[in-house]
Formats: sequence, C-alpha cells, structure tokens
Amino acid sequence: METLKSSTLQLRQLTKKYNNFEAVRDLDLNVPSGSLLTLLGPSGCGKSTVLRMIAGFLNVTSGEILVDGKDISRVEPNFRDIGMVFQNYALFPHMTVESNVAFGLKMRGVAKHEQAERVRDALAMVQMTHLADRYPSQLSGGQQQRVALARAVVIKPKLLLLDEPLGALDRHLREGLQSELRDLQRQLGITSILVTHDQDEALYLSDYIAVMNGGCIEQLDTPIALYDRPQTEFVARFLGVPNIFASTVVASSSSEVTVSLGGQNIIVPTDTGKTVGSSCKISVRPSHIEVARSEDPRQGVTAVIKSAHELGERIVYHCEVADLKIEANAPRISSSERFAVGQSVKLVLDPAHTVLLRD
Amino acid sequence: MAKTSDRSKYLISPALLIASFIVVAYGYFALTSFFPKGPPGTQFVGTPTLDNYWRVLGSGSNQAVLFSTLGASFLISLITIAVAVPMAMVIVRAKREWVGNLIMLAIAVTFLSGGVTRAYSWLILLGNRGLINLGLTNSGIVDAPIRFLYNWSGVGISITHYLLPFAVFTLIGAVRNLNPSVEEAARSLGASRTTTFWRITMPMLLPGLMVTLVLVYSIALASFLFPMLLGGGKVRMIANQIYDRMFVEYDIPYAAATAVVFLVSAFASIWLISFVAKKIEKAVS
Repeated sequence: METLKSSTLQLRQLTKKYNNFEAVRDLDLNVPSGSLLTLLGPSGCGKSTVLRMIAGFLNVTSGEILVDGKDISRVEPNFRDIGMVFQNYALFPHMTVESNVAFGLKMRGVAKHEQAERVRDALAMVQMTHLADRYPSQLSGGQQQRVALARAVVIKPKLLLLDEPLGALDRHLREGLQSELRDLQRQLGITSILVTHDQDEALYLSDYIAVMNGGCIEQLDTPIALYDRPQTEFVARFLGVPNIFASTVVASSSSEVTVSLGGQNIIVPTDTGKTVGSSCKISVRPSHIEVARSEDPRQGVTAVIKSAHELGERIVYHCEVADLKIEANAPRISSSERFAVGQSVKLVLDPAHTVLLRD
Repeated sequence: MAKTSDRSKYLISPALLIASFIVVAYGYFALTSFFPKGPPGTQFVGTPTLDNYWRVLGSGSNQAVLFSTLGASFLISLITIAVAVPMAMVIVRAKREWVGNLIMLAIAVTFLSGGVTRAYSWLILLGNRGLINLGLTNSGIVDAPIRFLYNWSGVGISITHYLLPFAVFTLIGAVRNLNPSVEEAARSLGASRTTTFWRITMPMLLPGLMVTLVLVYSIALASFLFPMLLGGGKVRMIANQIYDRMFVEYDIPYAAATAVVFLVSAFASIWLISFVAKKIEKAVS
C-alpha cells in the first residue's frame, strides 16, 4: 500500500461533562501529521473519553476537534473517515476475514474489483492472506487484531485510533505485534492516536506521549524526555520513579536551585527558579544516582546502605539518611565496586536527570 | 465414577416419577382418541377405530381452526418480536437508567398480573365504547368505532401483550451479549445507524431472535383465555375447540384426537421453524 496523505489533528479546549463530573477538561493537543501520539494514564483519567470523542462515539460538551483544520466534532462517525482498532478486536462475527476488511470499502461504494485488490493488499500487509476465508471465531487473538488493523487502514482513513489494541493479548504476542504495528504506522505515515495504560508500550510505540490525569494532560513530551525528566509528581509516580523527595528551597537563581535533602544541600537545575524557603519535590531515577565512596569530592548526599541486591544487570541499593529513603542502581556487570550493608556512601545525583517537580 | 453415576440415578428419580405420571396421563388421553365415545360417566367404549381422526382431519372447519391457529400464532410471534427487540434494546442501552427501569417495571407488572385481569383490561380498552374508541371518536379521528373485539385484531393484540414479557426477557440477554464495539466499528467504517442495525446488529442478534421466536410461538399456540374472552366465540383457536369438545360436548375421544393432531402439527411447525432458522443463520454467517 502506498503512503497516505497524512492529516493533522488538533484538539481545542475539548471538554466532556457527565452531569457534574468533568471527564475531560479544556484539553488542547496538536498531533503533527504522520506521527503517533499516545494518551497514557491510569483508568479513569479520561484518555478513552478523548479517543471516543475523536471517533464520534461520544458527543463533545464543548471544544473543537480539527482534522486538517476542519472541525469534525458535530459530524456523524460514519462521515469522519477515521479507522479504529478496539481492545476486544470488534470484528464482525458473521463475516469472513475478507468481508470484514471489505466492509468499509463496500460502505464507501468502492468498485468490486478495486475492493478485492485493496482487501488483498491490506491482508498481505498484516500477513493474513492465507486466512481470508476464515471467520473471526476461528482465529487467535493476535490474528484477529491483525485483521482489525487491516480493516481500519484499508479505507485509507485520515486518522488511525488505537484503543488499547494490544491489551487483550499475552505478553509474548504483544511484543511481536507491537513492532509490527510500529512498522506499519511508519510505513503508511498515518497520523495515529494510541490509548494505553502500559508505559512500556507507550515508550516503544510513540513519537509523543501525553500523560493524562483527571481529564487534563499533565505532560506532553517525547518518550525519552518523559522517561528521563518527568515534570510532575503524578507523571513521575505513574512512570515508576521510586525516588520522589519532599524538600525545601535553600537558595535559588534563574538557572538552578539549591535544596536541602536529608540535611545536605543539593543543586538542581531549573529554568524558573523558586522562592527561598518554599517546599518542593525532587524526582530522580535510581539509575541516575551514582553510588560513590563517602570520601568522593563531588557534591552529593551522604547516606547509609540498608540493603543491597544484585539483580541481573544492576545492583539495587536501598539507602537511608535522616528519614529519607533513597533507591540507587549501580551497574553489576561493568563495575566490580560493591558496597556493603551498613557502609556509609555518597550518593551523587546526576544533575541533568534530577528534576524539580512542578507543583 | 461408577459410584457417582449410581447416585445420579437416585437424584433423577423424582423427575422420572413425575415424568412417568405425565406420560401415562397423556398416553391414556391419546389412547382414548382411538375409541368411540362412551355413555355419560365413561371415557370410551367399544373397539379401536380411527373415526375420531377422520372427523378432525376431514372437516373443513376443523382444518380452518388448525391452520388459523398455526398461522395466527406465527404472525403474532413475529409482531411480538418486532415490538420486543426495540424494547430490549432500550432496556439494556438507555442512557438514562430510569427509562429502562420503567419499561422493565411495566413489563413485570403485566407479567405478574393474571390472565383474566389482563383480558378484562383489554375488554375495557378495546370495546366499541371502550377507552380507545371513545378517544378516537371524540377527537374525530374516526367516525364510527373500530371493531377490535370478537375478531382477530383484539385477540392478536391481547396475545401479543401476553407474549411480550417472554420475548423481552429472553432478548435482554441476547442484547446484553452484543459487543457495542462491533457496532461502533461498523459506524467508523462508514455505515449509517440504519445500515449498522440491519447488517451488523440484527445478524448478531439472530440466534437470540430464533430462540425467542420458537418460545413465543409455542406459547401462542396454546392460547386459550384470550380467544375465549376477546374472541367471544367468533375467534376460535385449537385450545378452545378442545375445551368445548371435552366440557361442552363431553366427547372426550373427539377432544383427544383433536389434541393429538394439534400436538403433532405444533411439533412439526416448531421443528420447521428451527430448521429454517438454522438455514438462515448459516446463510447470514
């Protein structure tokens, strides 16, 4: 299949209210053409609501959904030109694989011979040609989802919406299909929105990730930026950062703040500065903390090791200073340095990956 | 294993006992149909004969009652399902929960109120000076009252109303089992609401529809009360005929022969419906 003319998607102050409950609040989002953006968040954060509003299955309370600059928020779903893949496959159980894929083309009045050709191409793309005559109930979950994917892209939609598409598959299958999905999306250059609560899937598949909480976007970033520098406590916790420290600002300039951590001062870069004396939160991943000898000259936090576990590629140290518990990871294979439980060490926080969290 | 199967024999014995009573009773009744009518106070006398069957099958009016019972029951069942499908859909899918609950309540109330009560209510509603006709004539929509009673329309309406709970309760399960994503998928692929309903929803509901059809058809076949009260002797279904032969004419062998013929044709027609249903399901899938 040839590359599609990619569309852009913009959401403008998109809001969805149920009685008094705001499921989505004033959401603004730009999805550049051809990219895959993931809405990531826990259940109930509003990510599925956003997707269903884009698809047209839910009415918007207010706001706009612009595809190529045109508002489609009041358009019936059958006129939106959007392909959708559902978590539970949602294939038509009474139709063969071939008829399933042909359905969208039939609805568009595409000529019979062209239908056959495009269905053949789409099935080849997902390697399902040999099962074209089967019914969905005769296919495995992975196969069904491939068919669903073919059915969604065969109509050359402006957008591809993926609602937890790999959520119902077991891990082994999921990883295989993940890379296929990614290749296919790149190859077709189709603007896509993925909804998931699985951060690994999001990090692997996405060009951009929007982490949602309580109907709003907490942070929109590239996967690496999001992983390395979560901006809010919610994002840091959701992405599994164990080291989130409450602290106070001791000194502040326009480029860095000095905070107190376990009674010791640490310099954290920032681009805003912060009032001296105010409380703040710091986040840093265990792998971005270097465990050094206590006499190390660099700036850091002196702490005592409470436990040490060698786990595969890394050594996990749990350290303590005052009431502060800090987890630090050291490489196990490339380093022979070992610290014993009870030993006093200096924990050196990598300034580039130590984040002063937004309130 | 042998032990458990032994035990299951005991567990099933009450059912077997009751079943055997029923079979014996039915069997004796069926046996009656092969004998001439006896003097008052006896079931039958004399030597075996097929006369009763000739009387049932040979007379045009008997055939007419049989076929109109089968035909009307089938038609009424179809109408019932046509009404029940949207009701079940609303009950399961209404955004406002109270709408579904209200319909559910209305159905449950009619379901629990007795047959005579319902038939009487329909008499009040459908009579020439009933509520519906009063409303229609007073508002000037019709000049003369529409005759609902003592013809098939009143009987059909009341039987449909009687069957509705059975159909709705059966279909609720089927509708609940529908995966809404499948219909959404159709919509996003370009199908309108109507197209989605006929090409996706209905085929998915088909097995449930067929089960419901067979169920309400068998119940409709046995209608007795509504044709009696709202048909006023002019609309006769087979159950009424059997009743009259037993308790008005005291001709038990004749009644038995009628019942046997009815039973056989009922089973045959139900089998035919299921057979055609399976064919349709195959053709659609």
